[in-house]
Amino acid sequence: MSTPASAERVDVLVIGSGAGGAVTALELASAGRGVCVLEEGARHQLAQYGAGSLEAMERLYRRRGMTPITGPVPIGYVEGACLGGSTEINSGFWHRTPREVLLRYESQFELQDASPEALAPHFDWAEKRLHVSLRGRAWPKSTAVFSRGIEAMGWSGQEVPRAASGCQDSNTCATGCPKGAKQGMSRAILPDAERAGARILTGCRARMLLTSKRRVTGVLAEIEREPGVREMIRIDADHVFVCAGPTETPALLRRSGIKYHVGETLRIHPMLKVVARFPERIDAHESVLPLIQVKEFWPEVSLGGGFFTPGHLAMMLSDNWLTTRGEMASFRNMAAYYVAVRGTGDGHVRPSRVGDATTHLRYDLSEEDHINLSHGLARLATLLLAAGAEEVFPTVYGIPTIRKELDAVRWLDERLPRTGLSLTTVHAFSTCPIGERQDRCAADSFGKVFRWENLHVNDASMLPDSPGVNPQGTVMALARRNALRFKDTAS
Amino acid sequence: MPSPRSQRAVIVLLGALGSAVFLYLAARRLDFAAVAATWKTARPLPWVAFAVVCYVAGQLVRGLRLRVLVRRETALPWLTATNIVVIGYASNNVFPARLGELVRAGVLVERTGMPFGEALTITFIERLLDGMAILVVLVGAAAFSLHADTIDQVAKLAAVIFGGALLVVVVGVFVPNVLLGAASRLTAPLGAKWRDRALRITTHIINGGACLRDPRTALAVSLLSLVVWALEASMFVCVLPAFGIALRFPLGALAMSVTNLGILVPSTPGYIGPFHYFCQQTLMTQGIPSTQALAYAVLVHLAFYVPVTAWGAAAILRYGVEVGRTVAAARAARTAPASKTVDGVPVHFIAHVEPAHGAAGPGELMVALAEAFLPPCEPRAAREVAAFMEGQIAALPPSLRTMFHLGMTFFRFAVRVRHVSSFCGMPIERRRAVVDAWAFGRIALLRQLFRPVRSLAVLAYYERPEVVRALAPADSRPRLAVVGGK
Repeated sequence: MSTPASAERVDVLVIGSGAGGAVTALELASAGRGVCVLEEGARHQLAQYGAGSLEAMERLYRRRGMTPITGPVPIGYVEGACLGGSTEINSGFWHRTPREVLLRYESQFELQDASPEALAPHFDWAEKRLHVSLRGRAWPKSTAVFSRGIEAMGWSGQEVPRAASGCQDSNTCATGCPKGAKQGMSRAILPDAERAGARILTGCRARMLLTSKRRVTGVLAEIEREPGVREMIRIDADHVFVCAGPTETPALLRRSGIKYHVGETLRIHPMLKVVARFPERIDAHESVLPLIQVKEFWPEVSLGGGFFTPGHLAMMLSDNWLTTRGEMASFRNMAAYYVAVRGTGDGHVRPSRVGDATTHLRYDLSEEDHINLSHGLARLATLLLAAGAEEVFPTVYGIPTIRKELDAVRWLDERLPRTGLSLTTVHAFSTCPIGERQDRCAADSFGKVFRWENLHVNDASMLPDSPGVNPQGTVMALARRNALRFKDTAS
Repeated sequence: MPSPRSQRAVIVLLGALGSAVFLYLAARRLDFAAVAATWKTARPLPWVAFAVVCYVAGQLVRGLRLRVLVRRETALPWLTATNIVVIGYASNNVFPARLGELVRAGVLVERTGMPFGEALTITFIERLLDGMAILVVLVGAAAFSLHADTIDQVAKLAAVIFGGALLVVVVGVFVPNVLLGAASRLTAPLGAKWRDRALRITTHIINGGACLRDPRTALAVSLLSLVVWALEASMFVCVLPAFGIALRFPLGALAMSVTNLGILVPSTPGYIGPFHYFCQQTLMTQGIPSTQALAYAVLVHLAFYVPVTAWGAAAILRYGVEVGRTVAAARAARTAPASKTVDGVPVHFIAHVEPAHGAAGPGELMVALAEAFLPPCEPRAAREVAAFMEGQIAALPPSLRTMFHLGMTFFRFAVRVRHVSSFCGMPIERRRAVVDAWAFGRIALLRQLFRPVRSLAVLAYYERPEVVRALAPADSRPRLAVVGGK
């Protein structure tokens, strides 16, 4: 049923334009609903993408990429803050949610209608829209050497499909694809949403949901329509979908006094990066990141390749800079790889009480995470040495290089020094888990927040638990399912 | 509800009543012949001139403080800021019920374009700082004076009033979201119109107090407030010898602080009555005869009243400000929020928000750190890297940013103690050795402190095209190597 916006109110307000928000906006606008999308970041043209890392951090990343997760082991975390959200700065890797993960969601959280079969049409839809495909041509060198290592070890590995057909190896995934190959939301979904009638306000940050009894009546937001001129505005809405991402969605809800199982269960994939130096030229800074992931040890541990520029290389080497800085001269023979583990630690998200509207993230690395990272490093280093790497440089203080297999396998029996770990992550989720178990979840199986009549969450925050793979596919499929359900049931 | 006119009449009457009561209290049982004799033997010059100089200096420092308080919003010239302060004081001398504070906020609106509510908040913060500074002066002066129960009671009452107000300001400044959330929830049952109003006022309060979130600004305005009231105390001190009273700073400071706290009670314009009563009573507690004390109070009041009123009148004439117009502007700023459409979306305007401020240029420490982490490079490159580092550190969440700055303050202090030299002033090789010892040493906490700057420095440096070119000269760069090839 079509419910266009009245003169004073918005029908459906979508907060956030990332993988969840964009799909929600498209589906509901296509169904004739009056949709308004609020996006904190700016709208960028393709020509503005692909600038250097420093410029991209300022333009495209939340707090210029300075959103660390605190805890006994601090973890670097980044997410997008621009039209399209993190889909503009990720690698475009695409995974369907593994069957095992969905079954666990059902058994642990009583998540309904989320079987592989139920989600298949939504994955099909998203993959078609995003032109998800394999590379279909020769691999870049950083992928080829990784493949060589996998083969030497006899492990299972696979090329990961990407939402980046026609990728031109410009090595700009993390700075916005200027070629338009990567199908971020600003390119693949939001233009169609706008054509279907959705309105998008960029530079508009939601500060607080306005509530009355058990309904959300609108949002208090700050908008910057001219540089340096910010206004506080109120937007009234009949239905609100909060899709501000795994950290900002719970922060916004908690700031608004909505705290029931909100922000209590931050889950991440902690990553440990390594750099490998090969005897041959890799020129990883001039090609797309390695496209293969090792699934031999999944779901606990995944191995893959990371974004590489000389600046990022220097950062990775800087943990042991006194001994490794001389290696910068060999940067053309180097590539970056990672160990990612399915985090089992506890974390939470809290809006900052002090100062401006910032968000505080905390994650306590579990013992299991620690073991998996140690094992993962052992295996990744072994693989890279088998692939021909002369040296492997982990981002761990006190372990500048691994040159021999024997040095690598020791980490199968020993633990990496906790205080020396330099961990990062780009995957966060589960801060507003969905499911029918009200003792564990913030919202029902379709994202409607418990105890609220017209409030929904529809982004990575809704994943009940860590998916163990890149979450974009799961987020888009669930978001579309939820949006269609809303369309069918909301009056 | 009474009309505005009758409200004004009540205010004026209450003020007049207050003044009459305090004048009576000050003059009862007074020997007027003795007062006249005291005046005849008084030697106002040069002491009154010195007092006026101190008072004018105090107003200039007040102007400087206002300038610091509004500098996030606008660059206000010092003289203009001082004139705004003086207009406020002069108006308080002319209008009842401290309406001068509103006039001052109105002139601030007119001079800067900031919303009225924000200007009023800044005025309120100034008054709060004044109150706290006066309390400090009072406690300090009382320590060197004769004990008096009256002064103790005044100090306790002031501590409660200003302490409570300080608590509200601290909440508004440091936990703005709590204040905003409370305003939203408390006014939700009243409907959108009243909630919008509450949110607008709250936003203005938060904006007005935002300047105090920067510890350096907070420290600066606190110190300036102490200077202001030390100068005002000096004014009181300067007048003492005019009546043959010994030139004692604690006595003048005590009279100043009790008098200024006393004139918070309603009175006629210019605080006639309470000013004289509290000033006289304070001096009497220190053994000064009542006639001499009252004569002193009258002279101090003149030194306090006449110059600032004249200066304020001149400032008003100079700016061409009519009080009525200012009030009208203030009213306009308080009009109900307008509904409008932004890119086709219906929105309701609540308030202007304090604009986001980018990081300033790189500080000396950041440049010194960048140079210590990087290979030898051009000063321009080091400065650009440092500017990036500064911007990134400024983007950290406030709690982490504060921890970082505290850590760096400790680092600088420790370096100065250990090496008897400032870190920034060290030769580059020594600086490198110090940074290497801290950033790559055995203490994990210190490594964590340096981790962000270390990572940011090398990231920014090795992202520079000329650095990459130097690492891999163009002639040695083959085309993208691939396996196989299509």
